Amino acid sequence: MTSDAPTQGAAAGTAAAAGPRSLWSSLARSQPYQKFVDVLFASQRRSFLILLLPPIIWVLSQHLGPIVQMVSVSFTDAYPRPPGQEAKFTFDNYLLFFREPVYMMPFMRTLIYAVVLTFTTLIIVYPVAYFLARHVKRENRMALLLLLLIPFWVGEIVRTFAIMILLGNTGAVNLILKSLGLIDRPIPFMYTGFSVSVGIIYLTALYMLMPLYSALEKIPASYTEAAADLGAGAWTRFRRVTLPLTYEGIGSGATLVFLISTGYYGTPVLLGGPNTTVFAETIAGFFHVAGDKWPTGAAFACIMFLASLALTGAFLSGMNRLSKGGRK
Amino acid sequence: MSRSTRIMMSVIYWAFVVYVFVPLILMIMMGFKDSKFIGFPIKSWTFDWYLAVFSDTEVLTVFGYSTAIALLSTVVSLFVGTWIAVLLADRKFFGRAVMFGLMVLPALVPGIISAIAFRIYARVLGIEPGMFAIIWSHAVHNVPFVCLVVMARLSTLPKSQREAAQDLGADPLVTFVRITLPYLRPALIGASVFCMLLSFDDFVRSFFLGGYQPTLPVLIFAKLRSGMSPEINAISTVVLILTAFLGIWAERSMRRMKKET
Repeated sequence: MTSDAPTQGAAAGTAAAAGPRSLWSSLARSQPYQKFVDVLFASQRRSFLILLLPPIIWVLSQHLGPIVQMVSVSFTDAYPRPPGQEAKFTFDNYLLFFREPVYMMPFMRTLIYAVVLTFTTLIIVYPVAYFLARHVKRENRMALLLLLLIPFWVGEIVRTFAIMILLGNTGAVNLILKSLGLIDRPIPFMYTGFSVSVGIIYLTALYMLMPLYSALEKIPASYTEAAADLGAGAWTRFRRVTLPLTYEGIGSGATLVFLISTGYYGTPVLLGGPNTTVFAETIAGFFHVAGDKWPTGAAFACIMFLASLALTGAFLSGMNRLSKGGRK
Repeated sequence: MSRSTRIMMSVIYWAFVVYVFVPLILMIMMGFKDSKFIGFPIKSWTFDWYLAVFSDTEVLTVFGYSTAIALLSTVVSLFVGTWIAVLLADRKFFGRAVMFGLMVLPALVPGIISAIAFRIYARVLGIEPGMFAIIWSHAVHNVPFVCLVVMARLSTLPKSQREAAQDLGADPLVTFVRITLPYLRPALIGASVFCMLLSFDDFVRSFFLGGYQPTLPVLIFAKLRSGMSPEINAISTVVLILTAFLGIWAERSMRRMKKET
């Protein structure tokens, strides 16, 4: 429809366009729809309530519901309830954790692994993020970043399998060491804490990389230039300017890596051995056997969730204090 | 920065690239090994494992099953996630922060805990382990990812566009369908690919909520536990290529969307 067309032509054009223009126009003009809309959006308040209620119901029933149910099952003596019996409230499931040292080992191991792995991932990934954000030209950044993202789109189990091939007795690392004449017999990397760690770092590195990269990318070059003009050396510039400005990125990356690494189940099962049982395997064990162990499993899951939340919270508040101190 | 640090940094970057790629490349190579045993060295090569995979009805069934789960759970996540995002995007209301916290909750719960919480909840609701249970848990788990992506996109939609539509007599529903939804298109495409990959790759929820029919990661897991053969490499390679391509495509379209604004 051109603006200089005769009026009649334009009107005809509009009429012609109105037909196939869209189902929506005709639908929106139809009587039932108008009535429906009049009821639905009668007032600002009503339309807001219609927008608000379904998310509230969804979030409470689907996001919070499973967690609440898990907590409530953890306080019962048996689940599912034997027919004709009232569920009894009990702390036994929680007390069992503290009574039996068998469970303490995997629990502590999980937390220690998670802390060590988070720290290791940070050390490994920081230079990579730094390089990408501060040394690479803007137009190349995207390509180099995408290159790193490819493997991270591949699932947990496939990547774990890849690590098994890398570290196995007939794996690539042992082959190389052997052909270099460094070893006679293959080093048993697999089914140890080492293989579990390599596997989990392989899975979580991206969650550290992304927050660090975006934190580093935001720092204007003028900051470090100003520090250099004031006579700060490379190390001082990094320690006093760059690093404090990335505390927030470190905080969110470390939180993600920590929480995610405590939750892996398939990877430690495949890469670990009897001496590397993590708490996820302990918890899962209660769900493989008959149903009456579920409350214990639920209680253990609650303990782990609380412990990881507490550690994360402590870490984040520490980081917060650090970054505030840095800004003074 | 001095020249030497610059070189050192790029060496670290490329070393990291090698670390990230080498295991996958080795895994792909092993799928072409002409022997039943996984392990180096590879003396002769073959395509037989791929032929075996593509004629293995079990693997094909499982592939279809995983794909169906990914698609259906993505539809639910997209719908719910977008709705919550529209609510959270530009309104200030009492309890908004609480709503936001509850919205991201499923993404922050560690995998194993999320899986068993869903397992218990499914039992409470009377949902049998199986396809529906898996779809449901994946849908809930993926809502925060959709919501965050859509919220990011919504924050760049000029309010004037929607106001103009309303001034011209469009009701909120028409405004949403004709103004907001077209604007959200790139975000929705990115988010749906992201959701499909999360669902397709998910192991722990599928493992605990699945019935007798395994999803692809669960099948690979079971095969790995019962004994390895290069057939698993062939399956994994097919999965790897599919997921990597889809992922890159979505990432690119989403980064382009960021650039536009």
